[in-house]
Amino acid sequence: MHRRFRSLQFRLALRLALLFVAATAITVGVLAYRAYETAGSLHDRELSLRAEDLAGSVRLDDAGNPRVELPPSLVRDYSAGAGTDVYAIRAADGHVIAASPQSFADRIKGWPAPGDDPSYFRLAGHDGSSESYYGLSIALDSPAGPLWVSVAHAGEANTLVQSLLWEFGTDLTWIIPLFTLVTLAIGILAIRGGLKPVRAVSRMAAEIGPHTTSVRLPEKHLPSEIAPLVHAINHALDRLEQGFAVQRQFTANAAHELRTPLAIITGALDSMAETSELASLKHDIARMNRLVEQLLRVARLDAISLDVSDPVDLEAVAGEVVAMMAPWAVAQDRAVALAGPGGPVWVKGNTHAIQDAIRNIVENAVLYSPRGDEIEVRIGPAGTVSVADHGPGIPAVDRERVFGRFWRGKGAGIEGAGLGLSITRDIMTRHGGSAGIKDNPDGGTILVLSFPSYRPGVETRAKASSTLRLDTC
Amino acid sequence: MRLLVVEDEPRMAQILHVALERAEFTVDTVGTCDNAREALSLIPYDAAVLDLGLPDGDGLLLLHELRQAGNCVPILVLTARDAVEDRVGGLDAGADDYLVKPFAIPEVVARLKALLRRPGGALGTTLAAGNLIFDTIGRDVRVEDRPIPMPRRESAILEHLMRRLGRVVPKSVLEEKLYGYGDELESNPIPVHVHHLRRKLMDAGANTEIHTVRGVGYLLTETKS
Repeated sequence: MHRRFRSLQFRLALRLALLFVAATAITVGVLAYRAYETAGSLHDRELSLRAEDLAGSVRLDDAGNPRVELPPSLVRDYSAGAGTDVYAIRAADGHVIAASPQSFADRIKGWPAPGDDPSYFRLAGHDGSSESYYGLSIALDSPAGPLWVSVAHAGEANTLVQSLLWEFGTDLTWIIPLFTLVTLAIGILAIRGGLKPVRAVSRMAAEIGPHTTSVRLPEKHLPSEIAPLVHAINHALDRLEQGFAVQRQFTANAAHELRTPLAIITGALDSMAETSELASLKHDIARMNRLVEQLLRVARLDAISLDVSDPVDLEAVAGEVVAMMAPWAVAQDRAVALAGPGGPVWVKGNTHAIQDAIRNIVENAVLYSPRGDEIEVRIGPAGTVSVADHGPGIPAVDRERVFGRFWRGKGAGIEGAGLGLSITRDIMTRHGGSAGIKDNPDGGTILVLSFPSYRPGVETRAKASSTLRLDTC
Repeated sequence: MRLLVVEDEPRMAQILHVALERAEFTVDTVGTCDNAREALSLIPYDAAVLDLGLPDGDGLLLLHELRQAGNCVPILVLTARDAVEDRVGGLDAGADDYLVKPFAIPEVVARLKALLRRPGGALGTTLAAGNLIFDTIGRDVRVEDRPIPMPRRESAILEHLMRRLGRVVPKSVLEEKLYGYGDELESNPIPVHVHHLRRKLMDAGANTEIHTVRGVGYLLTETKS
């Protein structure tokens, strides 16, 4: 959920939505204000005109008394019905000359004299009607002398405006959200589209590891905001690759530099006369050799990319490993054996790495088995290698830890660098496979290497060659 | 028997020199490709030990050059390189065998002797393992001078095992070498022969042992004293 809130899309959507709500509120507010204002002044002006019309229709009759003669169009407007307009005309002395309806005349009698500028008033409903009136009073000159004219409209001055605004408002209530949604949709689509290359780049970046240091992220088609980041990452990758190259070179040099003196010491010890002291020294140097060998192997695996694309016959490779290790196992009073389906078992991988992986688990099994035991390397037709031993077994809690670097069992007297199984797991991981441990029903453990299923084409089978070298003559 | 050791590391060269002389070889030691080339052109060595990392060039190139020139001297390559591909490359370039540093000196001697015992090799005719002697020309097997009579196929198996003393001989190789094209394979032939062979060697008091590497082949070792 937090991820969602941090997403660019979400942030932009949220801000846009807030912007739309605020903009709508301000627009409607300003429009309403302006509309009310305009409507009000229009109304006031209309009332002034009405007052002038009324004043203009006052005549002196033959007796010299002022009289109102409304033109027909005005008569209809002041027909004294509900919802129509009202007026009252008073002479300068305050007595009512004419009024419609009569009740208005009664009400207006006590009002003060208006000035030359209109004064506005509001009337609560008369005649028991709930309607209210808005009007003005003004002093005007007429053919019949100065007059006080009051005229009022039924209803609020801005009824029209209100209804207009109401309509406008109801329109807005669905137009604005719709507009907002459409805009957001466009925004989101634009962001999505813009970020598509970013996602592609992310996928590529996710695949970069110590073994794929030559990969660079494409900088084309990226939004200009992201491009500098990707550019910087590529630069960082350049530097990392250089670092790895140095590491690789170091590993290769270290291998040579470490092995040569070890070979000299080993050779020198071999050429000395046998004593018990010498025997234990040889033992120590053998251990050192093994540790250095495994450390170099770990360093190499860490630093070098492994080509795991060749078709490899597990049975043949395991056979080579068993043949290679048999003399050593025999010297330890153990035997090794191969049990396979009797035909090739193809997996995709790297022959030498798979050899290493199998060798490490066979080595472990030999070291942990009792004397006289036979360690069987069993090849499953589905691409598995199982090595069973009759050793002390590995408690369930330790089964993951044995694959860690420098892990060593509690059994005393077992010498190993504790790197073999970690190398094996590393190699299996590179092959997309797994290395696991289960109980041996006969006592001890079974180490199982499982490769992903693979079916090579006929031509690749023909191409795959065994690396087993035999004396050729 | 004369050997050439091509090794630039003085201590290593000295140790090899001493060890090989102790094994009754006559040893010349050189430290560069140029010197090796010169020595090989002057003296018909029986075998050579070649270190790959030399100060004036790659041992692999020298090896390739020698084979191109038709020089068939058996060569044991020593290497400190760790890329397995390099070792295979060494064999492809014409090495007869290789050992990766650090190695045990007895292993170097054993490998060299195995190279020299190859048909055409300088040690040619007699194979030895513990107190067991095999004369490959007379097809004569002896334990401490007592002859052990054995049929052709048993002695053929023993010969292969002795040639690769201390290393596994794949069953498939024995089958190929023992049965010519069109020969009818007996049922379960090799294990039966090995069984007989084992019993004969034991009865004769040989201090060697044939180990079965089930599913792969057989291995002859000298019994630990």
